[in-house]
Amino acid sequence: MSRIPGAGLAKGLAVTLKTMTKRSVTQGYPEVLPELPPRSRGVIALFEENCTVCMLCARECPDWCIYIDSHKEVVPAKEPGARDRTRNVLDRFAIDFALCMYCGICVEVCPFDALFWSPEFEYATDDIQALTHEKDTLREWMWTVPAPPPLDERAEEPKELAMARRNAAKLAKELEQEQPQGREPNGPASPGGDA
Amino acid sequence: MTEATVGVGIGADQLDTTDMVLNIGPQHPSTHGVLRLRLVLDGERIITAEPIIGYMHRGAEKLFEVRDYRQILVLANRHDWLSAFANELGVVLAVERMLGMEVPERAVWARTLLAELNRVLSHLMFLGSYPLELGAITPIFHAFRDREEIQAVMEEISGGRMHFMFNRVGGLKEDLPAGWLGRARAAVAGVRGRVPVLRDLVHGNEIFRARTKGVGVLSRETVHAYGVSGPIARASGVDFDLRRDEPYLAYGELTDVLRVVTREEGDCLARFSCLIDQVEVSLDLADACLDRLETLPPGPINLRLPKVLKAPEGHTYAWTENPLGVNGYYLVSRGEKTPWRLKLRSASFNNVQVLSELLPGTLVADMVAILGSMFFVVGDIDK
Repeated sequence: MSRIPGAGLAKGLAVTLKTMTKRSVTQGYPEVLPELPPRSRGVIALFEENCTVCMLCARECPDWCIYIDSHKEVVPAKEPGARDRTRNVLDRFAIDFALCMYCGICVEVCPFDALFWSPEFEYATDDIQALTHEKDTLREWMWTVPAPPPLDERAEEPKELAMARRNAAKLAKELEQEQPQGREPNGPASPGGDA
Repeated sequence: MTEATVGVGIGADQLDTTDMVLNIGPQHPSTHGVLRLRLVLDGERIITAEPIIGYMHRGAEKLFEVRDYRQILVLANRHDWLSAFANELGVVLAVERMLGMEVPERAVWARTLLAELNRVLSHLMFLGSYPLELGAITPIFHAFRDREEIQAVMEEISGGRMHFMFNRVGGLKEDLPAGWLGRARAAVAGVRGRVPVLRDLVHGNEIFRARTKGVGVLSRETVHAYGVSGPIARASGVDFDLRRDEPYLAYGELTDVLRVVTREEGDCLARFSCLIDQVEVSLDLADACLDRLETLPPGPINLRLPKVLKAPEGHTYAWTENPLGVNGYYLVSRGEKTPWRLKLRSASFNNVQVLSELLPGTLVADMVAILGSMFFVVGDIDK
């Protein structure tokens, strides 16, 4: 490659010298915490209030690391003559993070928005049993869940937004039809607004 | 094995040296994982070499048969843990083909982009670890610094650092975050600017060249005989790249950017320089994808799937050009929500078998240089 013996070595040393003058890019982790993106799959948090014990997450989990126990409770009828209702009550919701593969299928299949990803990652222990986290710990992690990042400008609108917009338009139309029959002009919602 | 007894007044026939069996691994630093090599040595020279595999066998193919197509992705992305995105890709391509599914254009381009970024990640790992195995410590820090930059954009989009789990049948899991294209472009530019560092540091280094040039020459015939693929095959002059020869994703439209890197020598140095050049090609491809993504009309990035996804009865073979070589999935479905059989053809399995041809006749000291230049991931061998 080169005529002068050792020219390649010198070139390499020049790189090292140049790098020496630059600031280091490493972070001193325990002192400096990493800035993780909102989508980071650190830990799964449970928004317990939203859980209806439908068991979809436990069933869809590829390695069955979600444990759910529940019982049924009878809610007495509110009006006389109506039937009593039963309702599922969550007794136990635990995720074994020693088994979890962090695929996020449970978060994705949850139809009631009870599971969320949090970038929190500092829960390593030296005891494998301690990696099974119960619902109270999972609920605590809920406070660390960040808002989802805004999407690219060319992205399709999230279906929640599209639905809200459709509903608003529908309401506005109804309002318009009702107006001739003596309704106040300033209706309940700004129709067609940024839902 | 003959047993020699050395005593007083030994005859000439007793002076023969005996062959020694040397086990490399399963826990050897140069095998990054649990590959075991059983070498028979005559002094310093290797007579026979046998790669003994299976220490990391996880029965992935059998596990695929009891998982639905979304769950398969979780398992499929981790046999070669350095190219998770490319692994997922083969599965979704196979299922989409079976279903006759048309993937949205934005998803196709985003997949191509992510596949190329994943290739850069994987290549940089080997560009850093190979010199490390030969005793050069510095390059791996440079390689990891570059990796980290791409890793950050991959993490931002997918939420994972290794097992991205970002492909879905019919597209991608989520759309790109706002401003991500710009950050990806900056990362690509940053890494491109520092590729010359690796060249100066490693490729031109006399010691490195002395240890790799002319060492472990792999002939074209052996490549064909063993089904070796990827950069290793191309370093032996086999001009075969699925991205060009059987275009999938958007590669068909990238023919002017895609340059298939080949070398004629077939030695360790050729394999290494193939890898460096491929990084540059991948960065060019990534830039082309970014250009395209910025001009595509707004649209969805995935398709709505039925609750229970069933591939129709039939079979298909989807192969992709993974960073380490040809990765294929043979999917046989009987119309259930799980595949009846999903055969996995992984690149490293074939690439490592060739060691039994390559190592005999070389010295033990060259063994590490040859082994490291085969660029394998043990999980990809054992599946």
